[in-house]
Amino acid sequence: MSDTLARLNEVFHDVFQDDTIVIARQTTAADVEGWDSLMHVTLMINIEKAFGIRFSSSEVAGLKDVGELADLIEARKKP
Amino acid sequence: MTFPLTDELMEYVRAAHPRSLRGVEEARQAGGDDFGPVVEMFLTWLTAVRGRQGIVQAVDEFVKFSTEVNLAQARYEADGHYMHKSFAELLADHYSSREAMDDYLWGVFLTNVLWAHHFEICLFYRNRFLAKLPGAEAKIVEIAPGHGGWGVWALHRLAKSRLEGFDISPSSITIAGSVSAAAGVGGRARYELKDALDLAKAPPESADAVINCFLAEHLERPAKLFEVIARLLKPDGRAFVAAGLTAAQVDHIYEFRRESELVKLAEDAGLRMTESFVGSPRRTLPKAKFLPRSMALILAKRKGEFL
Repeated sequence: MSDTLARLNEVFHDVFQDDTIVIARQTTAADVEGWDSLMHVTLMINIEKAFGIRFSSSEVAGLKDVGELADLIEARKKP
Repeated sequence: MTFPLTDELMEYVRAAHPRSLRGVEEARQAGGDDFGPVVEMFLTWLTAVRGRQGIVQAVDEFVKFSTEVNLAQARYEADGHYMHKSFAELLADHYSSREAMDDYLWGVFLTNVLWAHHFEICLFYRNRFLAKLPGAEAKIVEIAPGHGGWGVWALHRLAKSRLEGFDISPSSITIAGSVSAAAGVGGRARYELKDALDLAKAPPESADAVINCFLAEHLERPAKLFEVIARLLKPDGRAFVAAGLTAAQVDHIYEFRRESELVKLAEDAGLRMTESFVGSPRRTLPKAKFLPRSMALILAKRKGEFL
């Protein structure tokens, strides 16, 4: 899981163009400047590329925090 | 004036969907002094159908729908074309699911007032179309009413008018019927489960007004839609048509790229554009190639000129 969070952190840096962001499982949109609905989708597309997975729209819409996102990625990575 | 339902909606968006707040605030800014009264009217109908809890449910559905739209737009940016090509694919995957369609229609219902550029289209509809319709017993046809909000708004403003709505979705017939009843105009509205394009055989020149919002891009051959509108419209009638351009959605098939494509379809069907409005979201995806737009046209029959 820590590998997933570390890789996710890199994606956050790229998408929000801010290397100072440090995410944790409890991080939400309120903690990251500019994390609105459009940037959320941009983030998801970049995560899909980084992890080689694909999300459905209902999964993307329902995510409450980074912890849920990391869990979803882990579930997707399982064969 | 106070708008308690609108305040409740804003509070819920702020608390439960902070990522969507910026877009909703943009709609509030676009609406200006009209935002409160128009949103309150929509929410009054919504809560009369679904109860006070309906606001929370519809906002959740709106956020899900908007996310689906944004995700489809991002995939469109990558692929260069819409996801689906045929109506048959959509009928199997999308339109035939009753539960999904109910959620979808209530989500779309709120896009009318919670997307800034759609709020602008609402104002264009009210100020430039509804305001000019004849007040006396106008017969209105709504093609593909979906949630019913557009047509119900017309009945709400024109006290003696009557409306017939035709939609291919059972969810639409139920929801549009319940919204019209909630708005107190149910006695003047009739909704029928019917492919709107079958109206090509309907009595000609029978409607004072035709309303059709956001159907053309869901069709394989939108030319037929404009032919139906031209057939139904009386010589002095007016039609209001809205459609999306380079605006991906899982159920959009026909990719309009230029505003002139819609105007040409109308002209080829024997109609003339008298007014139009084009709106686009305040923000787009980073490095977007496509600008998603919504275009609304007010159309009249062509007469006394070369056809």
